Amino acid sequence: MLSSFFFLAAAEDGADAGKAIALALGIGLGALGAGVGIGNIFGSMIQAVARQPELRGELQGIQWLGFALTEAVVFYGLIGGLLAYVLV
Amino acid sequence: MKRLAALLFGLALVLPSVALAQDGEEDKGAFISEEWELHEWIPIHLGPIDMSINKAVAYLLLGALCSCLIGIVFMRVKVGRDPTRRQALGETIYEVAQVSVAEQGLPTQAIGRWFPYVASLMVFIWTVNMLGFIPLPLSDERVTIAGVELPTLAIFAATSTLSVTLALALMTFVFTHVEGIRANGSWKYFKSWIPDVPKVMLPLIIPLEILGQLMRLISLSVRLYANMLAGHMLILTFVGLIIVLENVFLAIVAVPAAALFYLFEVLIVVSVQAYIFAALSAIYIGSAIEPEH
Repeated sequence: MLSSFFFLAAAEDGADAGKAIALALGIGLGALGAGVGIGNIFGSMIQAVARQPELRGELQGIQWLGFALTEAVVFYGLIGGLLAYVLV
Repeated sequence: MKRLAALLFGLALVLPSVALAQDGEEDKGAFISEEWELHEWIPIHLGPIDMSINKAVAYLLLGALCSCLIGIVFMRVKVGRDPTRRQALGETIYEVAQVSVAEQGLPTQAIGRWFPYVASLMVFIWTVNMLGFIPLPLSDERVTIAGVELPTLAIFAATSTLSVTLALALMTFVFTHVEGIRANGSWKYFKSWIPDVPKVMLPLIIPLEILGQLMRLISLSVRLYANMLAGHMLILTFVGLIIVLENVFLAIVAVPAAALFYLFEVLIVVSVQAYIFAALSAIYIGSAIEPEH
């Protein structure tokens, strides 16, 4: 079922090409949003620590939490793309 | 010395795919997804329930063993006046679990009961993730060295299969609601799901809130699963490019890129995902015990 979804450079017919585009769009657009979000989080963290360095320890936990929550968005896109590729 | 170790890591990454290089011509990229095909090693069937030992189960058992060992080696230390390195490391693990996982999410009176759960969740997921990046001779491929048939070294994380992460998330899901009902009573607990909105909005809000509770289960499991899957897939893809495009000189680019992703996964993703899973479990359970927060 999952075999050969990778390296499908030469899609055999239009349907396969459409699935490949769905997969690429899923991961690509997901990465776009998450890139902006993660940049925001780390930028804010740098600003916050620059203003109040003594809060670094407390902020770090929240920072990683936010990082992981945002980063997961890419993978929802990836899973959606894989579902489109494998199931449809 | 460190450079040599990094080089060896890079070589170890290539090893599993070298054995696969003789595979058939028809579908050259298929070996990547074949890494996630689970074959029964020891078949155990209890009626309709399939409890066979396969690759993921073997990795999970190894992970359980290793996390027990981490607990025994680092936590069961005779506390002296000068802390040894072992004690210091154990205290660091404990402090992360206590301060940044348990105290962040759980209310004070619930820490005693739920700290063991979130702490062991953190250590267990970290260990299983970490085992996923150590090349171990646990794979379905066989290679013959000096007449002895041995399994090839391969990297595979048990957490990169959805069943494992879904089981872990399901545990948190069940504990959350059981603890919420026990602490508040079922009527008060389920009422706390619904925010203060005008009565007209209620038919819209109630299904959304119930869906939101189920989405927690999905997001908790898919986050860990997809992170580990994507990490392994990236590494395998970069190394596999050499075989797919049949060009040895591609290794000059592909192996460092794979090693870079490997380092990123090992240094950041493995720990962050373990921490996130435990912290979110703590937050979910904590918010069920004290819904007003």
